[in-house]
Amino acid sequence: MGLVQCEIEAAGFSTISLSMMPDLTASTGAPRIAAIERPFGLTLGLPGDASGQLAILRATLQALGAISEPGGVVDLPFEWNHEAKLNTHPAQLPPIASYLRRHPWAFPRFFNRTPPEPTASEIP
Amino acid sequence: MVDSHRFLDGVTKRVMRHWSDIRATGSIPWTPLTIPVPQCTIALVSSAALALNSDRPFDLEIERLDPWSSDPSYRVLPRDTRTGEVQICHLHINPAFAKQDLNSVMPLERLVELVALGEVGASAPSHYSYVGYTLRPERLLHETVPSIVQQMKQERVDAVVLVPV
Repeated sequence: MGLVQCEIEAAGFSTISLSMMPDLTASTGAPRIAAIERPFGLTLGLPGDASGQLAILRATLQALGAISEPGGVVDLPFEWNHEAKLNTHPAQLPPIASYLRRHPWAFPRFFNRTPPEPTASEIP
Repeated sequence: MVDSHRFLDGVTKRVMRHWSDIRATGSIPWTPLTIPVPQCTIALVSSAALALNSDRPFDLEIERLDPWSSDPSYRVLPRDTRTGEVQICHLHINPAFAKQDLNSVMPLERLVELVALGEVGASAPSHYSYVGYTLRPERLLHETVPSIVQQMKQERVDAVVLVPV
């Protein structure tokens, strides 16, 4: 997300990422980050929690106006105290996870973000 | 302090920590916000791979055939898009929450409410989504994003909120 954000900012728009992994987003050189602790797939919280979603979007936009230095991060003050166990995983393993189980020697490529060159048949 | 790794399992946590240590070189891009948010036209960008039911779905076969990549294209969601009108084409999350309430990942209704409250100038006519997973982002960055940017300029967007999943 941070890479896309940087391109949009560089094209002349003020941008902010609402990030659940602010460390990773910041590593891309993202200009503004609103950091939040939420499970994956629930960036703005639970379905139906309109007031919670509104508060998070409002705080994100306030951070957009408040951050005055490149790389600024605002930790949003919304704790995640949901007790019930939520299944945030997809029904099937993501293809890369399945691939790495079958090809464990490729893990260093994943770890270091150095994917192999795509073969001709893989280029869409 | 927000914990970037609270919801990750052991191996993924290790990978994300390592990825976070790979820092971008060069200066951070910066476009100052020159008008107050209550006067801004805002566009949302979601990495949840959302497509209107009436639109072409994202091509999941690209990632299934080559797990280092994903469909590099994007889809437009009009500002009045509602839950039930979109499909979620993302292989790394449980789509159930977004199917129940689009605003859990793409707060289009909440943005309209902030406009009505006078806290935001306008919701842009178009909002955008793409597949957030790829280890080969070149086409996404050099083909897709410029198209999105062009449409944002035509619609006089002032600021952009990016919402990962």
